[in-house]
Amino acid sequence: MINDTVCITVPPHQRMLKVVRLATTAAASQSGLNLDQADDVNTALDELFRLSLSESGSKRTFCLHYNICADRLEVLVEDIHASIGDKTSKVGRYRRFIIDKVVDRFEERSNTKGGFDILLVKFMSD
Amino acid sequence: MAKRTHTTLSRDEINSLFLNYRDNRDSEIKNVLVGAYMDLVHSLARRFANRGEPLDDLVQVASMGLLKAIDRFDPERNVQFTTYAVPTIIGELRRYFRDRSSAIRVPRGLRERSHMLNTAIQKFSQENGRSPNVSEIASVLGIREEDVIECLESNEATMIASLDTTSEGGDLSLLDMMGGEDKTLKLLDERLSLAGAMSNLDSREQNLLYLRFIEGLSQTEIADRLNISQMHVSRLLRRSLQSLRQNLTTSSREPYTS
Repeated sequence: MINDTVCITVPPHQRMLKVVRLATTAAASQSGLNLDQADDVNTALDELFRLSLSESGSKRTFCLHYNICADRLEVLVEDIHASIGDKTSKVGRYRRFIIDKVVDRFEERSNTKGGFDILLVKFMSD
Repeated sequence: MAKRTHTTLSRDEINSLFLNYRDNRDSEIKNVLVGAYMDLVHSLARRFANRGEPLDDLVQVASMGLLKAIDRFDPERNVQFTTYAVPTIIGELRRYFRDRSSAIRVPRGLRERSHMLNTAIQKFSQENGRSPNVSEIASVLGIREEDVIECLESNEATMIASLDTTSEGGDLSLLDMMGGEDKTLKLLDERLSLAGAMSNLDSREQNLLYLRFIEGLSQTEIADRLNISQMHVSRLLRRSLQSLRQNLTTSSREPYTS
């Protein structure tokens, strides 16, 4: 069950990564995640933000929906222009490996705009 | 017999050397005096060793302070040299941090809160075996959650993570504590099939990535193992990932062969 949703749109500049981190730490706090877990979500978003910057030529905004749940934080990154990457690409393997290790679940779906929506889920530890 | 101020020279001998140096400015006498107070230099440098700067650099800065103190000290004022030298050396170290260690200048109040935050996180983690969440830290420190989040991010901006940093209370750098070349690193490379991207990383960066991503240790567990703060681990991990990413971006221009 989702208790609250927070949406932010971040301009495509490297310096805006700090804004993403601040928002993520705040949302993670609302979900009851500890600092380790909040930093894990930040690590995954760091990768996706850089992917967004590199693939979109710094023209597309970075849209995030934080679903703040009682036992977890879900982050939907909307309409990234490129896939996280597949197993034939070194960078793709790296990105998948890191994201897989730091969040409890992630899903990538192609959307109707030709881009990709990526969902990250991090559960509160016991 | 006069009380000895250190292992090799008595206080009278030291006084005599200072008088001689004041009158003659003999560099050999100065060298003897420097040698006599190097323990003091190391001791004062170590006090600043957990602030993100390599200990060797701090010893050099403190040594500069010692040289100034020796040049300026007047042995006829009936004051012990250490009384004069300690504030001079500490002043030199503080100036170094003021000029060099902060990537972004933040208000003093925020810096002080950041220091309190670091201490509180470490204490909480040691007592509970896990890192705290933001509201727990806010409650411990009696500040608002927004202030905790602001502090967390200001900490990221103001500290430059270094693997040369010494662990808290120790002489060993993180480089030393994490060990050198390790066969397990090959496992990380194989697991990721990164075809050599790992080999371009510093072996200690590889070890840090190994602890986090292959052994699956949390940042708090790594912090415990290395005797540093969780926030420091966070910064080091981010730096290591950045290095790995850069290597991959460079090497991915070459055709991939599995």
